[in-house]
Amino acid sequence: MKLKDLKEKYAIVGVGYTPQGRVPGRTALSFHLEACANAIADAGLKKNDIDGLICYRRFRSLLGEPEVTPYFLAQMLGITPRYLTQEANCARTHLFHAMAALEMGLCNYVLISYADNALSGRRTFTEEDTHGEPPGDLLLYGQTGFTADYAMAARRAMATFRTGPETWKEIAVAQRRWASLNPRAALRNKPLTYEDYYRSPMVTEPFRLCDACLISDGGRAIVVTSVERARDLKHPVVAIMGLGLANPSYDVHQSPSLAGPTGAKEAGRQAFQMAGITLEDIDACQIYDCFTYTVEITLQEYGFFGPGEGESWFKDGATAPGGKMPVNTSGGLLAEAYFMGLTPLSEGVMQLMGRCQDRQLGVKTGHKEPEIILVSDNGGVLQSHCCTILRRL
Amino acid sequence: MSGEVLVPHPTGDTKEFWEGCKEKRLRFQQCTACGHVRWPPSNLCPNCHSFDFRWIEASGRGKIYTFTVYHMAFYPFWEDKVPYITAVVELEEGPKFLSNIVGAGFQNLSCGTPVEVVWDKAGEYFVPRFRVVG
Ligand SMILES: [Zn+2]
Repeated sequence: MKLKDLKEKYAIVGVGYTPQGRVPGRTALSFHLEACANAIADAGLKKNDIDGLICYRRFRSLLGEPEVTPYFLAQMLGITPRYLTQEANCARTHLFHAMAALEMGLCNYVLISYADNALSGRRTFTEEDTHGEPPGDLLLYGQTGFTADYAMAARRAMATFRTGPETWKEIAVAQRRWASLNPRAALRNKPLTYEDYYRSPMVTEPFRLCDACLISDGGRAIVVTSVERARDLKHPVVAIMGLGLANPSYDVHQSPSLAGPTGAKEAGRQAFQMAGITLEDIDACQIYDCFTYTVEITLQEYGFFGPGEGESWFKDGATAPGGKMPVNTSGGLLAEAYFMGLTPLSEGVMQLMGRCQDRQLGVKTGHKEPEIILVSDNGGVLQSHCCTILRRL
Repeated sequence: MSGEVLVPHPTGDTKEFWEGCKEKRLRFQQCTACGHVRWPPSNLCPNCHSFDFRWIEASGRGKIYTFTVYHMAFYPFWEDKVPYITAVVELEEGPKFLSNIVGAGFQNLSCGTPVEVVWDKAGEYFVPRFRVVG
């Protein structure tokens, strides 16, 4: 079995949303349940159709709540899935798990869910196990959390090729423009100018607050099944055309190639090889954007531009509504909501299904109606990368 | 949380390293089969899979591989210390080591700036931090 044989064999058939942004008083479990139930209903399925369950990422629970393990989620959904797992360390392997369970005949419909009450529960994302040093030793130096780690990656990039705030401001501004078209986006009513970007407070230099993604309450879920089954369901069929995975794994403090090649290069190569297409065929991108710089390095590694050419490539709203390559059309993790890889992935699916209303790519936004969308997911600090190419059949 | 003293938390793998730090000696494991100098410590050489190693004392000199300036703290102890700098220092002997850049010369840092170790008392240990050379 080669990855290529799985081209357009599996599809994403349902997306579940919840209230999102700042939604106080709700448990992480409640967001999971709402996202899951909505995804199942959106696909036109019944709960007992679901025989695979993947929780996107393990986190310690907040506010004294029980941890939402996949066991607990299955129990509260009233299902007994044959395949069940939860990612614990940010590797972005979910679609591979789902497709493997489907391909083995273990499952017919796999549900993937992410939810958190991170904003109300004040999750700081500083307890991540991405480093080789004991957490207590990192505190000796004050090295706490993803923001500084990604800032270190970005700083190394600045020393290696031409990049920096001049490039990143374009990404922040363009995504805020997309968010203004999305009623679900947290920052829909907060337009951003270049001046605003430069006035945004420094967090961990070279990153300003505007370079960093949101922290959100809410959840998102999707259902994966075979294209064959998808044809009998409600929505236009959005198939997985290409898929690639790389896990460079190295802690950012030990990486031998912090400014590239990153995992995006290898994962992108695999995905394009499986899909049998080139960059020319891509109509839009949904790029994992934990930080502005992550968008730049990902698109650079995929080959949209050479090292250091990002500043001119992104210039003048190239990725904004009406631009040459729409990127992160929901507002993304920077301006819509933080549901890990499910933010970009679900947006890619919804765009191809034609369900994005005011932000729907097409005549309204000044773009071609999309057929093929490139989606990225990135875990740890550039330690894991999944590249997915979606096509509307 | 002023008054809090942060101290190292030696593990079975890092104990030897921190013992050295009590005497202001910056020591790393060197594989006796292939010569690779590694950090963090472990029982296996990631380069050649030899279990044999010795502890060598590093010169304490290196250069900044990358760094960030914290303008916001994410842990109470560091709140009154912003702005402060963390950096990955690439030591002469090879390993990359996460630490702080302290002392004068903050404004002129860049990747590649030469630095040397300075020792900062923390309980019974000295914690290795770095300052710009010259
Ligand atoms: Zn060796």
